Amino acid sequence: MAFVRRHRGILPLALLLPGLAWLIIFFALPLYYQGKISLEVGSIFNGFHFNWHFKTYTDAWSAYRTQFLRSFWFAGLSTVLSLLIGYPLAYAIAFRAGKWRNALLLAVILPFFVTYLVRTLAWETILDDSSPLVSFLQTIHVISPHGRVLATTGSVVAGITYNFLPFMILPLYASLERIDDRLLEAGADLYGNRRSVFWKITLPLSMPGVVAGVLLTFIPAAGDFVNATLLGSPNQTMIGNVIQSRYLELNDYPTAAALSFTLMFIILVMVALWAKVAGTDALMGTEASAT
Amino acid sequence: MSERDIDKMIDELVEREVSRRQLFRLGAAGAMSVGAASFLAACGGSSSLGGGTKTQSKVIQKSALGTELNFSNWPLYIDVAHGKHPTLQHFQKKFGVHVNYTEEINDNTEFFGKIHQQLANGNSGGRDIIVMTDWMAGKMIKLGFIEKLNKQYLPNVQKNLIPALQHIDFDPNRDYSVPWQSGQTGLIVRTDKAPDVKSVNDIFNPKYKGKVTMLTEMRDSVGLTMLGMGKDPTTGSVNDMLAAIDKIGKYVKNGQIRRFTGNDYLKDLPHGDTWVCYGWSGDAVQLQSDNKNIKFIHPEEGFMLWTDNMLIPVGAPHPYTAEVFMNWIYQPQVEAPIEDYVNYVPPVNGTKEALLKIDPGVAKNPLIFPSPAVLAKGHAFKQLAPADDDKVNNAFQQVIGA
Repeated sequence: MAFVRRHRGILPLALLLPGLAWLIIFFALPLYYQGKISLEVGSIFNGFHFNWHFKTYTDAWSAYRTQFLRSFWFAGLSTVLSLLIGYPLAYAIAFRAGKWRNALLLAVILPFFVTYLVRTLAWETILDDSSPLVSFLQTIHVISPHGRVLATTGSVVAGITYNFLPFMILPLYASLERIDDRLLEAGADLYGNRRSVFWKITLPLSMPGVVAGVLLTFIPAAGDFVNATLLGSPNQTMIGNVIQSRYLELNDYPTAAALSFTLMFIILVMVALWAKVAGTDALMGTEASAT
Repeated sequence: MSERDIDKMIDELVEREVSRRQLFRLGAAGAMSVGAASFLAACGGSSSLGGGTKTQSKVIQKSALGTELNFSNWPLYIDVAHGKHPTLQHFQKKFGVHVNYTEEINDNTEFFGKIHQQLANGNSGGRDIIVMTDWMAGKMIKLGFIEKLNKQYLPNVQKNLIPALQHIDFDPNRDYSVPWQSGQTGLIVRTDKAPDVKSVNDIFNPKYKGKVTMLTEMRDSVGLTMLGMGKDPTTGSVNDMLAAIDKIGKYVKNGQIRRFTGNDYLKDLPHGDTWVCYGWSGDAVQLQSDNKNIKFIHPEEGFMLWTDNMLIPVGAPHPYTAEVFMNWIYQPQVEAPIEDYVNYVPPVNGTKEALLKIDPGVAKNPLIFPSPAVLAKGHAFKQLAPADDDKVNNAFQQVIGA
C-alpha cells in the first residue's frame, strides 16, 4: 500500500490493467493479424505471404457488393421493425404493466435461455411449406395459393427481427423506466394532452434507449449469417455467409479478412454518423436534456 | 424377445432420426460434405504443387501395439449402441487398445484448414487415423501429409478390398489410403409430388420451381449437373464444369433452386419443402424406411460415386496400431455391423454375405449393395489441379450466393 500511496498515479493504471490486457490480447492483436492476412497473397497449398496486396479489397468489394448492400438493407429493415415492435412493448412494460412488470421482462428475456441456433431452427419448422401457419396465410390470401414463406426475404428479415428484438427492448425499457413521473404530471398540468406529453417529454427522454437499441440491433444483424442460411435461399445470402464460406470452404483467408475489415469499416462509419445525428450524449447513455 | 432384439429396437428408436452428416451443418461447418471422386481411373489432375509446405512421409515400421489409438471420423459414421461403439469395444477386447474416437470432421475443407499448419510441421495433433473424401485425400497425399502404408501389415485389405477401389487415380496402388465407406449421389424424390423423375434434368422442370435443392458440396452438384448436360465429370474440362455452374446459377436466379444443403433434405423432404433434390444414398436408405413416398433415383444419365478414406497423418503417434486397426476392419464379419448402422456402400468384399446373417433386410438393399450393372453408371469427379480447383470452387461458391 505504501508503494501505491507514494505513486498515486499508478493506481488507476493498475486497475485498468486487466481490461487493457483483455483489449490487447483479444481485440488489438487479432485485428492486427487480420489486417496483415488481408494484405497477403497465396493459397493454402503454397502458403501465404505478405505483400501489401490492396487489390484484394477492391476485388472483394466488386464481387460481393450485392451481399454487402443486402446485409445493410436487411439489418436496417429489421432494426426499424424491432423499434416499431419494441417501443410500444417497452413502453407498456415501463408504464402500464404494474405488478406484471417483472414477469413481462422475464418473458422478453426467456427465449434467450434457448440457443440462437435452436430458436432459428424452430422458425424453420414453423414456417415450412406444409405448416398450419403457411396454409392459413394462403387461405386468407396474404400469400398466393402456392406461395411460400420460408426461403424468402420476408422470412430472413423476420428471423433477424425476432432474434435481435430483445436487444432493442431492454435498452428502451431501461431508459423509459428511468423517466421521472413528475415530469409527465407537470406536462399534463400544463395542459398537454397525452399525445403531446408523449411527443414532447417521453420520447425525447427515451432517446438514449432508442440510440442504444438501434446500435445493439443493427450491428450484429448486419453481420448475421444464421438466419440467411436457415431461413433464406441463395438469393438472400448476406455478407456473413460470404465471409464464412471464404474462410471455411475456400480457405481464402485474405479475401475473408478483407471482407471482415470492409464490414467493420462501413459499420464504424455508420455508427459515427448515427452518433453525430443522435448526439454523443445519447450514445453514452447520458439523458438528453428535456428542455 | 432376446436382449439383442430389444437393444436393436431401442437403437432404432433413438437413432432413426439422425444420420451421419445430418449434424452440425451450421455453425462453423457451413456445409456437410462429401466429395465425389475416383472410383474410375481418372485422367488429368496433374498437379502443379509448388513449394510451401512439405513434410516427408515415411513407410510405417512395426512396433509394439500402442495402448490407445486416436481415430478422427465424421459424425454418425460407425455403429452406435447405448452411446458406445460396439466395433471399437470389440477391438479393445481383442487387442487391448483403447480407441479414442472423435467425431470432429464435418467438412473436408474446413478440417484441412484446421490441421494443415500442424501437419506441415510433421505434427498430427495426436491423431492416428483421419477419414477424408477422395479429392482431399489426394491433396493431402500430394502435400506429403500422409504416412506411406506398410502393406505387409494389411493382408486383409489386400485380400478383401473390392476390385473397383483397388486402383484409383489419386493413389494408384493404395499406398497411402484405405477406403472407409463409399456412397452414391443421385436424386432423392417425393414420388407423390414428382412422380416421373428419371433424368438429372428433371430437377430443372418448371413444375418443381422452388421445390428443388442441390448440395453445397461442389463435386456432387456440379458432377450431376454435368451428367445432365451430357458431359462426363471424370474426363470433362474445367470449361464444362464452369458451364454447369452457369446453368446452376441461372436456376438460382429464376427461383427454381430453393437452396443448397448439406443433408437438410432429411427434414425438407418429409416436410414437403423439397420434392426433388440431389442427395446421398445412405440418407435415402433411412428416409425410405420412414416414408414410402421418398425414393432414391439413379438418374438415367448416371450418378456420382465417392469414397471416404482412412489415412494415417504424418507424426501419428501410433501408426503401426493404426494399420492393425485398418487390417482388422477389413474382415466381413467386422465390417457388417458398421454397415448395418451407417448404410453406405462397404468397401470390404464379403460384407453382404456377413450381413445376410445378422440383418438380411439391409443386406438386400440395392442402395447399400448396388448391382455391378448399376455401379457401372457411377462417375467419379476429376482430380483437379489446385489452381483449377480454386477456380471451379470459387465460381460455385459465388453461384450458391457465398
